[in-house]
This record gives sequence, structure tokens and C-alpha cells, in this order.
Amino acid sequence: MTRQVEAHHYCSHQNQDVRQCLIYDSEGPEARLIGVEYMVAEPLFLALPDDEKPLWHSHEYEVKSGMLFMPGLPGLVEHKDLEQVCKTYGKTYHFWQVDRGDELPFGIPQLMMAFTRDGQLREELAKDIEGRYGVSFEKEREKREYMKGPENGIHPLANGAGKGQMLELREVDLPPVSSLPRAFI
Amino acid sequence: MASSDEIPAADAAGRPTPPGNPMSVGRTVIDKGAEMMQSLKPVRQFKQHLCSFALYGHDLSRQIETHHYCARINQDFLQCAVYNSDESRAQLIGVEYIISDDLFKKLPLDEQKLWHSHAYEVKSGLLASPHVPDMLERRELDNLAKSYGKFWCTWQVDRGDSLPLGAPALMMSPQGVNPGMVRPDLLKKRDDKCGISSEQLEASRVEIEGVNTAGTNADYWMKHGKGFALDVVETMMKLRTPFP
Repeated sequence: MTRQVEAHHYCSHQNQDVRQCLIYDSEGPEARLIGVEYMVAEPLFLALPDDEKPLWHSHEYEVKSGMLFMPGLPGLVEHKDLEQVCKTYGKTYHFWQVDRGDELPFGIPQLMMAFTRDGQLREELAKDIEGRYGVSFEKEREKREYMKGPENGIHPLANGAGKGQMLELREVDLPPVSSLPRAFI
Repeated sequence: MASSDEIPAADAAGRPTPPGNPMSVGRTVIDKGAEMMQSLKPVRQFKQHLCSFALYGHDLSRQIETHHYCARINQDFLQCAVYNSDESRAQLIGVEYIISDDLFKKLPLDEQKLWHSHAYEVKSGLLASPHVPDMLERRELDNLAKSYGKFWCTWQVDRGDSLPLGAPALMMSPQGVNPGMVRPDLLKKRDDKCGISSEQLEASRVEIEGVNTAGTNADYWMKHGKGFALDVVETMMKLRTPFP
């Protein structure tokens, strides 16, 4: 939880209930593509297998705390979207650990979690964003108080099922190399 | 749970990919508004569409057609969003980073294992610019033929996953030896759909040079007979507060 990253999501809808997003480390033309996120509506999350659910995180806190916002959009339009996002679950992988100074995407993907309560987000990161974008998380929190999270509450298996989840690389044996073409029937 | 799992538990067969309701009018209006009002600079950097094939690193017999949308960051580096088709509702199936030979040779050997070379797929005509094959100019082809890629697939649509499940899979590139050769039926399907002939492209690319990968760990499976899979494991999260 101590390693935290500012993330800019560029999302499109597969349909009303599913979004897929490219994640960048900034919003300029030179931004680095650091990961992907998929977002699904609550019913789709609930239908996932139980061993898949821990890889997904809830969005309710991020939205209601004000830390998730849509730069450039008027509040009313933004809120219409955020009311929906508040109820969704996301699955995020980052491939490029720019926060530790990697100049290229080294290593294996990292499963990312979302913020779920006060006190997790590092204050200096919050202040930096608020300053650069001229937003106030406090004020937004008040405006977004009416928003509701998932109908069934945050599922206990989401958010890593409360544990850390990480990925490990494993070597697997493959069939030997052969220059003979396979016969296809 | 691992990227190499055969069939993830209980993903209902027969569901559309992905499941979900059609877009409502209200939703479409928000999207249009956002598109007009927000600056979308990073994604506007994708200037190139490339079609090729990729193989799952833990099982090279699983082969997929890929559509890369690439943004060139500098002479040595491209970042690509990878989709399973070129239609507007294509699934975002992963990300590939492409680097030059210069950058690749500076990587530690351990890191190199995760990368694959592109020379074969460029020279053989597998890698193409759909519908406008001549769009890929000689200089770009030379560049790509000497490059290496690192491709994580986050949505195994070909496995029947109607949503992205499990851990990402490391992908490898097609090569001229089995098990790395692309199945002829897949190739023909792609060629017919995209109006190209990989045979003709191969003939026109005869003079393009690849790179010498001797002494490197690119295409690790070719030299060592080993692929890679990712496992999800539980660990202790370093905390600032209770979680969640």
C-alpha cells in the first residue's frame, strides 16, 4: 500500500456494463502507457468465479472521497458518470513501474488495488493533484455524499479478499523445437 | 490460479463476450460529451495499426491474431494497445512494448527472457498493415525487423473468457520452427479478411535484415525449451491502514 501511483485512465465501453481502459502516467502526448483496467457493473462481478473475485477492487471509496475525477468535465456531467462508476468493480494490471524510476517496463505485471478508506492515500500525492487540477477532494466529497456503492455492499472477496495478491513468474516445459512442419488434419 | 490454467473455473459457455446490457442513450450522451470536452492526448498518439500473430508463452499451440495500435515514443521505443480485431467493439486484450536492438542488448539477461524478436514475423509477411499493405514502408519494416517486443495478454478471449480472468499471460512471437509456426488456417483466415497476401509480402521483404540474437535470452523457448506462466499468490500487503 505504500507504493502509490497517479493513474490517468482512457476508457471505452464494450457495452453499458463493461469498460476497458488504457492507463497512462500523465495526460500529455509523451505519457507512458503503464497498464490496463477493466471495469464491470456489479451483477457481472457477482457472477465471477470466487477465486477470480479477489483480483478485482471496488470503486466506491475512490469515487465518494473525490480522488477519482474526470478532468475537463463539468461537475454535473461528471457526476452522472461517477454515480455508475461508484457501483462498479475494476481489475487493474500495471506493467511499467514508473514510480520506482524504471526507464523501461521491467519485470512482471503488478496487480493493483484501489483505495478503500481514509488514511491510505499519501497526503503529498493528494495535495499535488489538487494543486495541479484545481480540485478540492473535500468539496467533492460533500457533493458526492448522495452517491451509492454496490447494491449488495462491497463483496468480501473483492479487494484481494483483504489480503495482498501478487504475481509470480514460473518456468514451464515446452515441447522440443523441431523444424518439421506439423501435419494439420 | 495461473495464466496457464486451461479453463478458468465456471466461466459459463455461451455467454457473449463480454456480457452486459447495450448502451443506453444517456450513457452515449455522456461519452460524446466527454470526447468533446476532454483532451485525450495520450491515446491520440496511436498512429499505426499492425496485424500479426502471437503465441501463448506457456503453450505455443495457442495462437491468436492480434491487432496492435502503436504509438512511437522515440526512435527506439513504441507502446501498443493490442486488440483481438480491428472492429470498434474489439476487446482490449493486452499491451505490447517494442524496443530497438540497442535498448534490448542493454537489458539484464533475466529481463531479456520476457522479450521476443520480430525479425521472422516481419520477413515472413505475418506482420502486416491490414488492407493497405504498402503503408508499411521499408524504413519502418527495417526498424521493426530489428526490434524486440514484450507482450502481456490480459484477456484470453480465445480460451472462451467472456471477461478478463486470471493472471496476465506472457506472449511470444511466431518463429520459423515448430512449435512456433503459425497454423496455416489462421494465416489464411487473416489474409482473406484483411485483403493481403503474406506470401507476396514475404517475397517483397526478402532484403530486410533481422538481428543476431545469439548470446541473448530473446525467444527463450527456442534455446531452452521453456516458457513462462504467471501465478497469483497471496502475500502480506505492506499497510498504512487496515485493508480494505
